Order: sequence, then C-alpha cells, then structure tokens
Amino acid sequence: MGLSNASEDLSSEMEVDAFRRLFPLRYFERHLAESIRPDGRPLGKARETSIFLGAVASANGSALVKIGSTTMLTAIKMEVMTPSLESPDEGCLAIDFHMPPICSPIVRPGRPAEASPVVSKQLSDTISSSRMIDLKELSLVGGKAAWMAYLNAAFSIMQDIYCLDADGALFDAALISAVAALSHLQIPAVAMNDDGKIVLVSGEDGQKPVNKEKRKLTLRSIPFSLTCILHKNYILADPTAEEESIMETHVTIVLDTSGQLISLYKPGGPALAYTSAIQDCVGLTGQRVKELKSYLDKENSAMEVVV
Amino acid sequence: MEYVSPEGLRLDGRRPMEMRQIRAEIGAVSKADGSAIFEMGNTKVIAAVYGPREVQNRSQQISSHALVRCEYCMANFSTGDRMRKSKGDRRSTEISLVIRQTMEACILTHLLPRSQIDIYVQVLQADGGTRSACINAATLALADAGIPMRDLVTSCSAGYLNSTPLLDLNYVEDSAGGPDVTLGILPKLDKVTLLQMDSKLPIDILENVMQLAIEGCKAIANYIREILLANTKQLEYRRGV
Repeated sequence: MGLSNASEDLSSEMEVDAFRRLFPLRYFERHLAESIRPDGRPLGKARETSIFLGAVASANGSALVKIGSTTMLTAIKMEVMTPSLESPDEGCLAIDFHMPPICSPIVRPGRPAEASPVVSKQLSDTISSSRMIDLKELSLVGGKAAWMAYLNAAFSIMQDIYCLDADGALFDAALISAVAALSHLQIPAVAMNDDGKIVLVSGEDGQKPVNKEKRKLTLRSIPFSLTCILHKNYILADPTAEEESIMETHVTIVLDTSGQLISLYKPGGPALAYTSAIQDCVGLTGQRVKELKSYLDKENSAMEVVV
Repeated sequence: MEYVSPEGLRLDGRRPMEMRQIRAEIGAVSKADGSAIFEMGNTKVIAAVYGPREVQNRSQQISSHALVRCEYCMANFSTGDRMRKSKGDRRSTEISLVIRQTMEACILTHLLPRSQIDIYVQVLQADGGTRSACINAATLALADAGIPMRDLVTSCSAGYLNSTPLLDLNYVEDSAGGPDVTLGILPKLDKVTLLQMDSKLPIDILENVMQLAIEGCKAIANYIREILLANTKQLEYRRGV
C-alpha cells in the first residue's frame, strides 16, 4: 500500500510525459476511468481517416489511406498469366504486404517484420472469403486453340501494400487501402499480337483488343474491418501502436457492406473475450463500415468528376 | 531519337536548363526521429531517419564517432513493370552506399560517439534521378531529426544528349545511353561531396554539364532552406515561442 501511495505522490510531481513513459498502463487507466483516451478520443471512436485514390501514377490502380498516423500505400499492377488447369476461366489476385524499415523504429533492415506475412495472409483470406471480386471477370481468352502462345489467358492482380507509417491498426488500414485500390483499378485493354502474345493496346495501334476497352472491376459486397482492444471491461476501438503495446488483447472483426460477418480474429491475449464484448465490437464495426463506405464512395465520385 | 526539338524543347516540354517541378514535405512518418517526402517531377521518394540511437550490433560500435547506416529500397510498383526483387540487388546496394558516403560527409559524427544513425529511403515512384531525390530527401529528414550537419547536401543530375547539356534527366533521357552526371554539393561551403558519371564525355563538355548540375543543386538548396524555415516557423507557432 505504502508503495502505491509513494508512486502516486511521485506521479503528481513528475511531468506528464515522464509519468507516461514510466507507468504507461496506469497513465492509460487513469484516462479510461474518465471514458477518454490520451489523444482525446472517446473509447469507441476511430481516428480520423482519409482515402486518396490514384496516388501512384505508374500503377493500374492505387490508393493512399491514413488512419490517424498509420499510413498505407497500395498499388496494383496487372499482369497477363496462364490460368491454372483447375480454374481455366479465372484470373488471380496476389497480395503482398510490406513493412519497410521507414515505417517504425522496431522494423530493422535484413529480417522482415513479424507482422508482414501475418497481415498478408489475413488480407488474402479476407478478400477471397468476402467474394468481393469475381475472378472470372479477369479472364481474357478461354480455350481458343487458334491462339498459339496462350490457349487461355487471364489477368493476375499483383497488389503491393506498403506501410509507410506504423501507428497501430495495421490490418484495418491495409484492408481499406487494398479495397480502395481495387475500386480505383482500371483493367487495361489488351490485344493479341502476331506472335500470339498478349500485349497492352496503345491508342494508335490498329490492334483489335481482346477485352474491349479499359474498364473497372465490379466489386460486390466490400469488406471493412475494425480492430478493438479489450482491457478489463473497456473496449477501445482503433488502437494506436502505443495502446497496442500496453494492452495485449486485440479483436479484429471484418464485416462487409451488406452486414455479413466475414472474419473474426482474436490472437490470444490475457483478457477473456466474452460473447457480449465481441457483440459490442461487432456493433462498433458495423458503424465503422458505414463510415468507411461513405468515405470510399465520396472519393470514387470525386475521381469520376475529375475524369 | 530526338531528345531536344529544333525549338529547344525536351520530350516533356522542358527547356534544356529547366528542372522538373520539385515538392517537399517534412514529418511524413510520425514514429521516425526525422522524415521527409521529396518529389522531382514523377520521381517520389520518402526518407526516414532513426537516431542517434544505441548501436544494434555492439561489434560495430565506434567510440570516436557515430555509425551511419543507410538502406535504399524501391517499391515493387515504382517502375513501369512490377519489380520482382526490390531489395538486395547490386544497384540498390550501390545506391545505399553512395547515399551513406554522401551523408557521412556532412554529418558531424564526432559529436555523437557510440551511437547509430539509420537513414532509410524508399522510392515510391521512379522516373529518373532517384539517387538525387534520395539524397535531397535524406538531407531534409536529417535536418528534421535535428542531427548536426556541416551543411545541407543537395543533389541533381545533368546529361548531354543531341549535343545539348540537359539538367535533371527523366527516365527516358537517363536510359538514352548518353552521359549522365550525378552531383552532390555542400552549397554554403561550395564543396562537391558526390560526383558520378556514366558513359563517355569530352572533358571540355564535362565542365559545362557539371556547372549546370551545380546550378540545379543550388536551386534545390534554396528550396530546401525555404521548406526548413517554414517548418521551423510552424514549430515555433505550435509551441507558442
């Protein structure tokens, strides 16, 4: 008891920043008791979010997303591939999540960040299980024996997501930027050349396009996610890196725009996530999905005006 | 191919002695000690500086001065075709070394013994002149991190195509096979800290091309100073100084 009183006396004398560094959990809990967070947000509120489409000129589709300080840049390059024998009329989607050393002091060159393959896998699983994209839409030439090089051909979407600033909720930001880049993606027009190779059509060539003109992908129900932290009986939406490091129980919930639950991810952590807590998280995610969809729709309509 | 038209215009509409539009922004990465975005036309680069901090590998610790490390990396989507391997290739290693040696020349490392300064540079869009853009971004990031320097380092490229000296080459001009001079200077001290040249170039023409690159470097230095000054004023305003 005496020890806790002594540390309380000490905290009153110390500068706020020093107290925050020495006793981070107690610093946060003092805020939580007032139902507010150190950055001034209510517990269930996400950070300010912005979406910019067409951030990379050299890509077929791209998006820059910021959630607070967390920044993700996604760019898509389309490549022509020969589809697999199991699904000859389908293209494919490959997602790579990168955490270069610029994004955080924890990430050092040489060894890739631990989170990179985990987030890559989660993103791939989420986007494929949401059935947001019909991979048949990516088919170009199907089983036409007249074509020499490609008996069948399809597009493969190579999606690279770069984390430029890691300040918590990496999966949420990565998913938004992946989805935003797909919504911005324009499938390029391609044609078959004399050698039977599929090439991009430039305006002046007299080549007959295989796939009509540039077009957008049809996105069905779009998935969005929200990561929450469970600490005692508090639920904190959209945590910062500092909050993630102090409070270890995370729940990531993915819902699509039609309100269906796509995935739920709770990797361990000391706090037991009761059903009621998870339902509360789902409720918060539902609100967040509506918010994010409106941001994306607004940005897409702004892009159409520009075009 | 004609890189300079009879009217004296380049493929992108610039005059031979005209630079691409430059834009810089400080503090792009919140977690870094210093960071900056630097754009030269369609070339976009982001740099982050972490340090001075404890040396990660104790065997590399230097008791008399700071250890400077640098990593240059290109995003897979930064070029026309998607890159399969964006890190660890010989070109990236060479550019990392060039940036490190260039920045080491201006950092007052003796003031920071037994510490480590990490400079990370990521190319987001490449359209020629990436190493120049990286050096300029790194300079801004180091200044933002408050690392003591003798002077700013600014860099610019120049070339010689169709018997015309050209300033700040883009990708098409860079890959034309003509001479390409990359220059890095300490503008206040008027010293050259980096000079690289590919392809043959007569010595008398080299002087003209170098002079052109120096003028480009000085123009960038003026712009960088303006950016740093504006940033300092903003910080003063925020802190109520």
